[in-house]
Amino acid sequence: MASRPTSEPSPPTLPLEHLAELSSAAGEDRALLALRNQARESLTPLLLPDRARHLWRYTDPTRFLPDTDPTDLTPTDVGPTWRLEEPLSVAGLLAGGALRVVEVDAHARKAGVVVEDLHTAQASEFLGKAVSESHGFVEAINTAAWRGGVLVRVPAGIELEHPIRLRIVAGPLTVPRVLVVAGEGSSFEIIEGHVGGDGSRGKVLGVTEIFAESRANVRYGLVQRWDPGVVGHLTTRARVAAGARFQMSLASFGGSTFKADVGAILAGEGAEVETTGVAMGGDEQHFDHHTEHIHEAGKTLSNLDFKVALTHAARSAYTGMIRIARHAGGSEAYQENRNLLLSHDARAESIPELEILTDDVRCSHGATVAPIDPEQLFYLQSRGLANLQAMRVIVYGFLDQTLARLPQTTRERIEALVAARLHTE
Amino acid sequence: MSDSSQPVFSCKDVHVWIADKEVVKGVDLEISAGEIHAIMGPNGSGKSTLANALMGHPAYTLEGTVKLAGEDVTSLSPDEKARKGMFLAFQYPVAVPGVTVASFLRAAVSAVRGTETPVREFRKELLSRMEDLAMDPAFAGRYLNDGFSGGEKKRLEILQLLMLKPRFALLDETDSGLDIDALKVVAEGINAAASQDVGMVLVTHYQRLLNYVRPHVVHVFMDGRIVRTGGPELALELEERGYDWLEPAAAGGV
Ligand SMILES: Nc1ncnc2c1ncn2[C@@H]1O[C@H](COP(=O)(O)OP(=O)(O)O)[C@@H](O)[C@H]1O
Ligand SMILES: [Mg+2]
Repeated sequence: MASRPTSEPSPPTLPLEHLAELSSAAGEDRALLALRNQARESLTPLLLPDRARHLWRYTDPTRFLPDTDPTDLTPTDVGPTWRLEEPLSVAGLLAGGALRVVEVDAHARKAGVVVEDLHTAQASEFLGKAVSESHGFVEAINTAAWRGGVLVRVPAGIELEHPIRLRIVAGPLTVPRVLVVAGEGSSFEIIEGHVGGDGSRGKVLGVTEIFAESRANVRYGLVQRWDPGVVGHLTTRARVAAGARFQMSLASFGGSTFKADVGAILAGEGAEVETTGVAMGGDEQHFDHHTEHIHEAGKTLSNLDFKVALTHAARSAYTGMIRIARHAGGSEAYQENRNLLLSHDARAESIPELEILTDDVRCSHGATVAPIDPEQLFYLQSRGLANLQAMRVIVYGFLDQTLARLPQTTRERIEALVAARLHTE
Repeated sequence: MSDSSQPVFSCKDVHVWIADKEVVKGVDLEISAGEIHAIMGPNGSGKSTLANALMGHPAYTLEGTVKLAGEDVTSLSPDEKARKGMFLAFQYPVAVPGVTVASFLRAAVSAVRGTETPVREFRKELLSRMEDLAMDPAFAGRYLNDGFSGGEKKRLEILQLLMLKPRFALLDETDSGLDIDALKVVAEGINAAASQDVGMVLVTHYQRLLNYVRPHVVHVFMDGRIVRTGGPELALELEERGYDWLEPAAAGGV
């Protein structure tokens, strides 16, 4: 029964033997166990996606199959301790399959900000509603077997000056779940940072759901800087209600194989989504980013700017979906993806995907894949900058146009990562 | 240190190929400190090719010898030449989006001077040079040449000349696309540099700039060669008569 998936003709199954124990050990209620069981059923038999399907054309799905039973309760090491260096409204650390540290500052506590262990939180109204097991096999595995989760809930009308920071430490097999609920008219920044990876191995299958209720203003950062060698898949979906604004910042740096499936559903009239991303890959890193902006309501606006810079033999695939529903007239959607190749061996692909079901829209998209411009290099070199320094300046500028649109704290963090990455090239 | 009798720049028998095409066909130059030479010639004659190749553009193949203050720099990279005191003002300055004028200039000044200038000192110097060139201080925060007008680009080239303080500068059509006010400002910058002993070559195909900058030597450049060398009066003659009267001389020189 505990056999790993093989290439035999009979469909593989996933061992999720200890699901009930996992659920009861974590103190979960019956409804949550039912949700897990439902997801497990969707995985039996385990049908992997057809590689011809666009979402999986660039990355082998078997890379994300767990090597061990994710419900196995053998305790795992707790990740590194976390020293907080900046004022935060909330700090939450998910490591070793549990929510380890939670700090809530006085202002946030008084304002009624809730940060709870997701295993025992009252969250059935939201959990699985933005990402369910039907999303895909990775999301189904997560929904069945997630371990270590956090609920962050900011009450209506609350504005947080300092960001909320969640740190998720990758272990040998990490299946984290994050749920964020932004009450009506609330306003805050939340950064989900992925680190660690047990030196050189580690697998992460993460799912994050975000609900921005009407007129909320949520600035969400997803920063991935795993150790080399980590294989991971992260899915984020935000549901953005009427008049709410959701700003998403992606920064991808680490791991060996990384697939991200991030997006927002503009569910209410006047919702706005802005996605800004940078990815920097080197060595033999493989990145596969998919974004979705789904306009389900009228007069909604989405904008996406995603930049990728690659060195060595790094690979990147980007697919960007814009869907505008028939009844979502008066909407606008813009998408731009640019890829800068810093070496002969780096490769990038960019595929826009538009499903526009109404004429009453304004929509544009653009994609470029190009090596570094030799005229730019010559210009900077003629001013005394050595080749490598000139390349850094160009890459920094390339990414900075995108970074400039981020909230200050995320921006500083990401800029430091970009600088560090460029200095090691 | 070089002795003062030695030219700050010289090149001998310089030929330049773009792929298989010989564009520059044997050029000799010698420029002393504080001296201004003008190279005038029709479009397409190879002036920019010469300037870019002298600076070390990797797309061009250069044969011959290039010396800075007596030192052979022929095979050095563009950044090494810059650090040894050579400067090229581009005919078409290149945009580098996302990089501000101030941060770029600070990196360039540090690289060329070989030391980090303290931020505050650098800013003071930058703002003062910008004022000399009648540039809005907000300019320092704009992305390098990104969306700049032709005149703004040329002013920025002169700003770089004044900040980097080279020994020798090649200015490729720094006068083109300027209105009369901008032309005067650019000319003042060039004269200021010359008064500080920078040796300069002004590449141009108009006489206009030479109303404000008095060159010591004028070279006429056609079809990849210097076909005539004279004093400032040669520029005026070109203005009156064009280049056609020189064509046979060029052909006869082969
Ligand atoms: N990068 C290039 N590739 C191919 N041909 C070029 C290139 N640069 C210049 N040329 C050619 O070399 C000749 C000289 O051009 P250029 O040096 O720009 O002349 P000028 O500056 O005197 O107007 C022209 O025939 C031009 O077409
Ligand atoms: Mg030219």
